Amino acid sequence: MSETNSGVNQNGVLDDVRRALGRSKSVPPVPLPPFIEPSIKTAARDLARFTEEATAVRAQVHYLSGKLQPIANNAVESAMRPNDQVKLVESIVELIAEICIAYKGLEMALSGAQLFAEMNLTSKLEAQGFSTFVCNETDHEQKVARLAACGVGLTAASYAIAETGTIVVDSGEQNALLVSLLPPVHIALVRSSQIAASVDEVISRIGKEKVGPLDGARSVTLITGPSRTSDVELVLSIGVHGPKELHVIIFD
Amino acid sequence: MLQGALKAATDTFIERRRDAITSVSDWEALRQRARQVKEHTINNLDYYLEQLVDKVEAHGGKVYWARTGDDVSRYIIELARARGVKSVVKSKSMATEEIELNHALEAAGVRPVETDLGEYIIQLAREKPSHIIVPAIHKTREQIADLFEEKLREGRPSDVAEITAMARKRLRNEFLSAEMGITGANFLIAETGTVVLVENEGNIRLSTQAPKIHVAVVGIEKVLPRFDDLSVFLRLLPRSGTGQKQTAYVSFLNGPRQASPESGFEFHLVLMDNGRTRILADEQMRESLYCIRCGACLNVCPVYQKIGGQAYGWIYPGPIGAVISPQLQSLGQSGDLPFASSLCGACRTACPVDINLPDLLLALRARAKESGTGRKLSESTAMRAIAFASRRPRLFAFGGKVMRGIARLWSRDEQIKNVPLPPLSGWTRYRDLPAPQPGGSFRERWKKNRHE
Repeated sequence: MSETNSGVNQNGVLDDVRRALGRSKSVPPVPLPPFIEPSIKTAARDLARFTEEATAVRAQVHYLSGKLQPIANNAVESAMRPNDQVKLVESIVELIAEICIAYKGLEMALSGAQLFAEMNLTSKLEAQGFSTFVCNETDHEQKVARLAACGVGLTAASYAIAETGTIVVDSGEQNALLVSLLPPVHIALVRSSQIAASVDEVISRIGKEKVGPLDGARSVTLITGPSRTSDVELVLSIGVHGPKELHVIIFD
Repeated sequence: MLQGALKAATDTFIERRRDAITSVSDWEALRQRARQVKEHTINNLDYYLEQLVDKVEAHGGKVYWARTGDDVSRYIIELARARGVKSVVKSKSMATEEIELNHALEAAGVRPVETDLGEYIIQLAREKPSHIIVPAIHKTREQIADLFEEKLREGRPSDVAEITAMARKRLRNEFLSAEMGITGANFLIAETGTVVLVENEGNIRLSTQAPKIHVAVVGIEKVLPRFDDLSVFLRLLPRSGTGQKQTAYVSFLNGPRQASPESGFEFHLVLMDNGRTRILADEQMRESLYCIRCGACLNVCPVYQKIGGQAYGWIYPGPIGAVISPQLQSLGQSGDLPFASSLCGACRTACPVDINLPDLLLALRARAKESGTGRKLSESTAMRAIAFASRRPRLFAFGGKVMRGIARLWSRDEQIKNVPLPPLSGWTRYRDLPAPQPGGSFRERWKKNRHE
């Protein structure tokens, strides 16, 4: 099987490339100078711009004012959180329950986001009468099949981009890519401080923090609105292979 | 039918693109930077490919270099056999269309399933794509509903939403049962070993995430040096292609889902030459390798708007197709393509990497003329016959009368459709010709009406 000599320039293609360029050995080039990207025209602040752009591509944006501090130990969560934070978590749970009411009969899949553990989200949603599913399945086929049967997927975003109304999920958060893809509804939680103004800013951070390091994230996806197609007579149709609904819940 | 649909599609894309590029403060600066990055990369392609391969292997991916389309098919079929793969989910990929991978897979007993909605429709109908962004643009919703009713046997979908829902349901099962996913790639990042995939439907995400084996078939020209180079291209590509500021999904993949071989996850990068090093060696044509396959040059092309993508039986249509097709094939097979252009220059203006398409087309025409491969014998004979007749007015008038009579006999509803005989059968398979109007030729009418 050819895989045993992987990467050793089978069929001499690399030699053909060098020959075409008129050399026998590759020479490290002088890298291009960095490029300052032209600004994207905007008057609005990041949160407002994000909301406008995401809404334009049919994502539903929900902003809950209130600040949620990270806490270390979720066991003593309610005792440690000040009153206003407890209220914020309650309103997030209420909002999720409201969005998911039509899917109550199906399981709700949660990614392995640290934020969810901090909020004690699973038990709070269970208390609302939802059956939740945090996937620890190691068999890949079974995992995919079970997630595909879920009604809703919940993830936390690692960044968001105001310029395009985009949220970013990555494989550093367990199952985030499948959870944000397979169920018909995807709900993403984002802190307003995670919203960056422009594409180049976030690309640069993904490069440095996620895909650059060899032990970094193996996959990262930018998500801009629900799944869509215009393949039939250019008529926009939402929810072709991925989620039909994308909800972004923003808090401070 | 095709002309109407194409006109609607290309008009829509032109308008959307115009709106989308005005949201960037300096479109031209972005465009020139993209060209500069492409030029730099292509001129140092050997270095960046080596860097890329090292990184992909460090992530636990396998790399296979394919000189020809057959090399690609052979590698994938061998892999499929070794892993007991029975069905493969495929996402839209011009590279695999180029080499007709599906035929090879079918012949080897592996079932390929196209999962992009447009490609799925085309596959069910056993046709070829007519547009690189909207492959089934030549089909109406009624034709698609008929097709689904006949092939899927689950009733007739009544609108576009039902067509989409029916395809989603059917293809979900395919995603869950396929053992291998095959994709192309929009970009490869040398610095990080990352495969970048841009899409709207989510079928590419499913093809790469649901099966345990992912194979990406990518032309060697798709590499970019640094991850940071991406933002320029991610701003240019969706705006140029569909007029979106961003597509629904952009995925960055580093190797297989898990690096350990025991996990059973595999990632294979097939780097394909298939004529590209020949273009690279040709300094005049080298810049055609800068193409990012957005389709903007198709939409603005007055010739493409009329004749569509299947006219010449080759996979890359429009102005860029007329340039790269004869180079990827030998000139003899598609040497007439560079002649199918009005050289109006709209394609160069629309190109997000500023490829000088009109100059390249002219150069290819000159080459075809020199080598005598430009015109077919039948065409030059026809031209000579017309020259002969037009010097003889009575013969010309008589010939015109006979042809008009035949054409009117064949027409239905003032259109000439589906002529069974060559040379018109090829043309009218996807296009209608307007029938000649009654009342005689221009000269006859001029004689009759000039004194009115």
